[in-house]
Amino acid sequence: MGPVPSAYASGVDVAALLVLLTEFAMLRAPQLRSQVRLYAFQSLVVVVLTAVTGAVRGHPDLYILAALSLLLKVVIVPAVMLHLLRELDVGQLHHPAGGGGGSMVLVAIAASLFGFFSLRSLGLHSKVLPTATLSVAVAIVLVAFVLVVLRSDVVSQAVGFFSLENGVSIVSMAIAAGLPVVVEVSFLFDLLVAAVAFALIMRAHHARAKTLSTEALDRLRG
Amino acid sequence: MSQPVIAPAGVQALQVLTVLFGAPLVSGATSKVEALMQGRRGPRVLQPYYDLAKLFRKETVVPEGASWVFLAGPVVAFSSYLTVPLLIPVLTSYGLPLGYMGDILGGGMLLALGSFATALAASDSGAPYAQLGASRAMAFSALAEPTLLFVFFVVAMLTSTDLPYALAATVRSTSEAVRPSHVLVAAAFFLVVLADTGRIPVEAHAGTLELGMVDEARTLEHSGAPFALIKWGSALKQLVLYTIFINVFVAPWGLASSGKATDVVAAVFSLLGKALLLGVVFAVIDNSFSKLRLFKVTEFLAAAFLLACLGVVVFYLGGA
Repeated sequence: MGPVPSAYASGVDVAALLVLLTEFAMLRAPQLRSQVRLYAFQSLVVVVLTAVTGAVRGHPDLYILAALSLLLKVVIVPAVMLHLLRELDVGQLHHPAGGGGGSMVLVAIAASLFGFFSLRSLGLHSKVLPTATLSVAVAIVLVAFVLVVLRSDVVSQAVGFFSLENGVSIVSMAIAAGLPVVVEVSFLFDLLVAAVAFALIMRAHHARAKTLSTEALDRLRG
Repeated sequence: MSQPVIAPAGVQALQVLTVLFGAPLVSGATSKVEALMQGRRGPRVLQPYYDLAKLFRKETVVPEGASWVFLAGPVVAFSSYLTVPLLIPVLTSYGLPLGYMGDILGGGMLLALGSFATALAASDSGAPYAQLGASRAMAFSALAEPTLLFVFFVVAMLTSTDLPYALAATVRSTSEAVRPSHVLVAAAFFLVVLADTGRIPVEAHAGTLELGMVDEARTLEHSGAPFALIKWGSALKQLVLYTIFINVFVAPWGLASSGKATDVVAAVFSLLGKALLLGVVFAVIDNSFSKLRLFKVTEFLAAAFLLACLGVVVFYLGGA
């Protein structure tokens, strides 16, 4: 097969894979709280990846992005979510989703395989990050979709949405070593808006259904 | 001034002897560290040697109705664990005469043969707990097998051979050590080692509750010299797995590149040092997690399989 990739390329790929594995861990996390903590960890990996890419590729503006993401994605959003979970006092365990945990993971593996296969057949190559990173990032986005679709509680949907953004920022780094800072910062602002919206949804849903499970929405009331 | 040189056959014998006599030391030191972390004083580091010496002096009691299989099992297991160090890089970075006798699958087969012999002996004893342990151990090792196979696939693809020496050499010479597929299969192999050596989160190896036992329960009926062989054998298996993990996957440095006596002696100490470090890592894991419920063990092994799967996928589709 091909030549052994350089240490930098391998390191980037390992970091992207770590993000993918956290995504799988979120899918299997029994507690809502641990899901939020996993998100904080995942964001931290993305922040480190951003800073390292900035240093290696000589884009100092990526440092600003890394600092802002650190503040927002690793500290503020998880803290707000954890605070909300404490306040709503919904208990620790998540409500069993439709389908067993094992089949959820299988669906996620299939989704990530689809990401790998489709990216390979497209034959895209990036000058900045190794090709594998792009495939892994697409797999992250797809598994985040699986998380949003299959786990039936509001927290998973929020966390899935947020981690989708992590996947997208790895994609943007893989393609262009970061978009212009204005675009990236507006992404972050978007995330902040989403965090506020999800906090509202969590509160409203909890106030009406006394639970964070979305299964309560399936019952028709006429 | 020329240094004394040890003949290849001598080095090969030394590989086996190092594992044979170093294994109780590694498990003794690990349990000492574990005890210290829990605020206990713990047994002496040399305690496993005293235990073995005591057991060899004791008489052997055979359960009623047990056949020769019961007594042969420990011997077969012990000798197959002892054959593996011939095949893997324990002390040297170059292949020794018998090193190419079997590949990584051969080593895996010998390890499986060892646990099969132990399980057979346990079943032959006719005791319920021993049989329970045997069937559990077989079930879990069957679940760990696909992971091992995928790990071997990746090794074979990375090096175009399936010799442990070749992978170690590749890891030493290039940036292979941080290559994503290699990192993933190394992590998967680590989880399998955790499961195969009977550590938390799969089994509380110091526990005394028969219902929670997996590997330990198999030996409940043994006594005297065969029991000593089994205990020694499990220490051997542990050190063999540690050695494969260290010298093939993670840190194949500090091995002797020639037969010079000083190099070889240094390699013995570096192997034992690295194994002790890994033992400390295992002790930390032991103290920071709780044992999984029996039916959750499958999920643990599935996680290992996920890692190995991703390793294959990343290599094939990402070229990384």
